[in-house]
Amino acid sequence: MSFPALIFMSTGIKKQLTKAVTSVPKVAVGVLLGIMLFGIFMVGYDQGHLFSMAQGEPAYEDMWMHEFYHDMRHAAGFPCH
Amino acid sequence: MKTLTFIAITLLAGAIAGAILATINQGIVEPYIDAAIDIENQNAIAAGELFDPTEYANYRIWQKGGEIAAGTILGMSLGSLFGIVFAYARPSIPGSNNKKKALIVAGIMWLVLFLIPALKYPANPPAVGDPETIYYRQTLYIAFLAVSGFSALGLAFVYRKMGSMQSKKILVPGVYAAIMIAAFVGMPPNPDEITAPMDLVNTFRVASAFTMSLFWAMLGLILGAFWDRLKPHETARIRVA
Repeated sequence: MSFPALIFMSTGIKKQLTKAVTSVPKVAVGVLLGIMLFGIFMVGYDQGHLFSMAQGEPAYEDMWMHEFYHDMRHAAGFPCH
Repeated sequence: MKTLTFIAITLLAGAIAGAILATINQGIVEPYIDAAIDIENQNAIAAGELFDPTEYANYRIWQKGGEIAAGTILGMSLGSLFGIVFAYARPSIPGSNNKKKALIVAGIMWLVLFLIPALKYPANPPAVGDPETIYYRQTLYIAFLAVSGFSALGLAFVYRKMGSMQSKKILVPGVYAAIMIAAFVGMPPNPDEITAPMDLVNTFRVASAFTMSLFWAMLGLILGAFWDRLKPHETARIRVA
């Protein structure tokens, strides 16, 4: 095999390896994005929404999650009350 | 990349940083929250509402426990986003080890997702927010966060596309600054009138900004340390075609 051909091949392999090593698995991105959205909603925004799925309308009065996460909501800068 | 290791260290780093944030808050931020709630209670008593101090004290203990849970969940959530951004950005970030690289990424995310939004819509202690405007205020806060976050994300791609152009180091932050100044001036202010003492509100804001900044630094250091140790990017299944 000629020298230029060897160089060409090794560059090709190097490119493939770099791609395989640096690619971020999509499934991990999906899982982490899901956790992020759910967690931020729960801690920062829920006003009874999640509990209302089981509890119905009274959940919006009790706002269990709002009250439980109340102090962190204020401390982390989320709008509250 | 080792998928499970990546997910595990990302969530663990977030949970640890978040739990530490909540613990530090008990000493640094809670005194101001307690003082603000006292004002709310005095107002309620003056308005003729019934108030049971013992029941109330137990309720506050429950809420302070909730803060630890909330800190851990919040840490895992912000940590998840941080892990994703770090995994993609890591190869192009300068730094001799992953702790330094992670601190740089955490610093940028702190600026984009915490500091700049906090300048427009700063944190408020209890006794400030009006329950009637909560959805409006949440919308404003998310909108501002989204403008800041998505502008930074879009500009990060532009930065990469610009290759070795030296001007990108001034141009890209300049465009981000222009967008954020426009959003800062253009978006409506927090509608709630502050009746609580401004001294209390300001010291609360400084305390909360201090611990949130510590949180971002810890998140970077912890994930960077895990990354250095477990190197989730190294082992990959390489298929030979």
